[in-house]
Amino acid sequence: MINRQTPPATSLIAPLPFSLSGKHRLSNNVPVYLIMGGTEDIVRIELLFSAGSYFQHKPLVTYSAASLLKSGTSSKTSREISEILDFYGAFFQIDAQKDIVSVSIFVLQKYLEPVLELFQEIIREPVFQQKELDIFLRNQKHQHIINSRKVAHLARLYFGEQLFGQHHPYGYRLRKSDFEKINRDDLLAFHNQWLQPRKLSIIVSGKLPANLPQLLENHFGATKWKRGENSQPEPTFAVLDNGRQKLLIQKDEALQSAIRIGKRTINRNHADFHRLAITNALLGGFFGSRLMKKIRQEKGFTYGINSALVSLVHDGYFFVNTQVGVDVCQEAIDQIYQELKKLRTLPASPDELQTLKNYMAGNFLRSFDGPFAQAERFREMLVFGLATSNFDQFLLELKNCTPETIMQTAAQYLHEDSMTEVVAGKY
Amino acid sequence: MVKFERQTLGNGLRVIAHRDTSTPMAAVNVLYDVGARDEDPDKTGFAHLFEHLMFEGSVNIPDFDTQLQNAGGENNAFTTNDITNYYNTLPAQNLETAFWLESDRMLGLAFSEEKLAVQKNVVVEEYRQSYLNQPYGDVWLLLRPLAYTRHPYMWPTIGKDISQIRDASVDDVRHFFKKFYHPANAILTVSGNVYPDHVFRLAEKWFGDIPAGEPFVRTFEQEPVQKAQRRLSVERHVPFDQIFMAFHTCGRAVNEFYATDLLSDVLSNGSSSRLVQRLVKEKRMFSEVNAYITGNIDKGLFVVTGKLHEETTMEAAERAFFTELELLKNEPLDERELQKIKNKAEASHIYSESNVMAKAINLAYYELLGDAELLNRQTDLYFSQTAGMLKETASRLFSPERATVLNYHALKTI
Repeated sequence: MINRQTPPATSLIAPLPFSLSGKHRLSNNVPVYLIMGGTEDIVRIELLFSAGSYFQHKPLVTYSAASLLKSGTSSKTSREISEILDFYGAFFQIDAQKDIVSVSIFVLQKYLEPVLELFQEIIREPVFQQKELDIFLRNQKHQHIINSRKVAHLARLYFGEQLFGQHHPYGYRLRKSDFEKINRDDLLAFHNQWLQPRKLSIIVSGKLPANLPQLLENHFGATKWKRGENSQPEPTFAVLDNGRQKLLIQKDEALQSAIRIGKRTINRNHADFHRLAITNALLGGFFGSRLMKKIRQEKGFTYGINSALVSLVHDGYFFVNTQVGVDVCQEAIDQIYQELKKLRTLPASPDELQTLKNYMAGNFLRSFDGPFAQAERFREMLVFGLATSNFDQFLLELKNCTPETIMQTAAQYLHEDSMTEVVAGKY
Repeated sequence: MVKFERQTLGNGLRVIAHRDTSTPMAAVNVLYDVGARDEDPDKTGFAHLFEHLMFEGSVNIPDFDTQLQNAGGENNAFTTNDITNYYNTLPAQNLETAFWLESDRMLGLAFSEEKLAVQKNVVVEEYRQSYLNQPYGDVWLLLRPLAYTRHPYMWPTIGKDISQIRDASVDDVRHFFKKFYHPANAILTVSGNVYPDHVFRLAEKWFGDIPAGEPFVRTFEQEPVQKAQRRLSVERHVPFDQIFMAFHTCGRAVNEFYATDLLSDVLSNGSSSRLVQRLVKEKRMFSEVNAYITGNIDKGLFVVTGKLHEETTMEAAERAFFTELELLKNEPLDERELQKIKNKAEASHIYSESNVMAKAINLAYYELLGDAELLNRQTDLYFSQTAGMLKETASRLFSPERATVLNYHALKTI
């Protein structure tokens, strides 16, 4: 008979330090980072512009400009572009965030050249036809109106506004009327000013053909891309921090309330960030976290609860997020505050800390699995101007983390009396 | 190409191993051949509730998740109308931990009354979060019983009604386990940085002594051919009208499945697709459209749906959809359009193979359909479809008298 009571022996080998497969600059100084690997013949090319909605002069401009890049160039209509991308089975993705716009393409290596040819045209020469923008805005407005009926969406929007104030791009809460306030000139201006080589980095990952550097030079280098040294000063904004806030967005018909509890805090560039990330994980960063155990697995109040840290280039914040039955909403809120308090007052037991460390080490390894995952991890470093040695520092912090580290970090950054609370629903 | 090796243990457990040295990880997947279609009509939602209970303690291990986390692993599970599937990823050197855990919960569960009560609450909250507290969330609660009159696909995996979840008893759970959770009713797949021989040794060691259960035979009725159109009109507190049209398709293991899937791609996969180009961009009737298949093992559904702009009537929306479906019945696709959707199918398939977890799940699913090797034949099967086959399939599928139409009206409120 085998012994089923005792777990098999486990080990956690340290992951290999991450390294780029290559790094160079195009003739116009655009940096290119290469991450080779993978089993399938797929290439991913990501153009990362360090210019997100923080840089827009009106709401929705960044998102609309990024979304409509592929809706027509000087030589091709929106439809022709879609036909080509679809014909080659290429996946075109945009990610328009607060600090960055990322435009990427996944393509089978055998179709790389024709797709890249089109890709550069989309990036450099979009025309942003008013007709395309009208259709886009109207459909997006529909989606906005539908989302505004969702408690989770409302809690997220209002929470950002509470933290940063409505005049800050990190806090601005989108209004229905914003969909009527922009036109193609806004998009062209944004593109001309910010979606330009001086703001661009290129990350390529997957099975990379040998001629890729040359292809990138031909398509995104100095000869192709002449304009763009328009050095507008970068915008700056002041956060209007009103301290601790409490807000209820009343929804009488709600069956569940969405809860967000959190605050502004340090971002990736701060020396304590790794410690805070470990502390957050213990609280609500994985299935075995204290919040999950208490609110879901012990109380049965919710399908899920988590907490997270969001790093922004100029700021950062922490939040707890859940949806619970309206009848238990107040009790769930009380429990969340109690868990925050326990985090700074009750030391983690050796078992609890060991499980956390093992899970986080395994998850770290998982997050580097394959070239595309590695590209994502690398992008975080690039956006925050960090060296990849930051990954090794995280592993060292994880190894050295003690129950006291966690309690101190929680006391310093996550005190329960410093939290802003937003509820959408009722209680 | 996913190379694999296969063995069957004495108790009937099928084991499949795939070696991928490009990753430090391993994925361990256990598929149980039981889904919502196997539920008693008075106890729906049970397969899914049961999935939750599989994490609440087994014969020798009180806490599945903690043990896996200790080995640096992560896991989750999903339940469909056809299957219940559990998957774990962990550093490959800790592979045996996943065998220890998965085998113990196949051997037997050991959860308490209290844990059952808590998980019933969790599932009720999941029901509210996904189906009741979302605009348009109850669509499948309406559409399924309209489209299916006999077959158990008439209820969703979450269950017909919250009360049936609340009524679940410990005896129900025991009975369900005994009937469905045994080696011959499961498929174990492992992919990642592992040696197949090692996988088979571990499988024999941990699963080999689990008693073979009683095989069960599915006795539910198949859905009869629909003879007349079915319609339902509802009003809800949502901002915009939406229309749903559903047609019965073939089952998953039939060759016609591939033509059916491609037809849905012609209509709405990608921004160059027909419904997007014609109805969203040219005619501007809808803010969004979608056509998709449910892809069930038994006869599934082909669904065409769209959210209407304010000036579009339900009648016009329905006409516009039928016009597009008629076109598929009457005119063969030209070469380029056919090639385009095949290329897209190929790309999607290759992208999905870049991940050990997806490979483990897919190997198990195709083995259930009859042969894991089907995974490697998918692209060929899509490429072997012709314009004539698509036209023929469209003609079989899209007749108005076999349509199920749900008109989901926005209640006008200020």
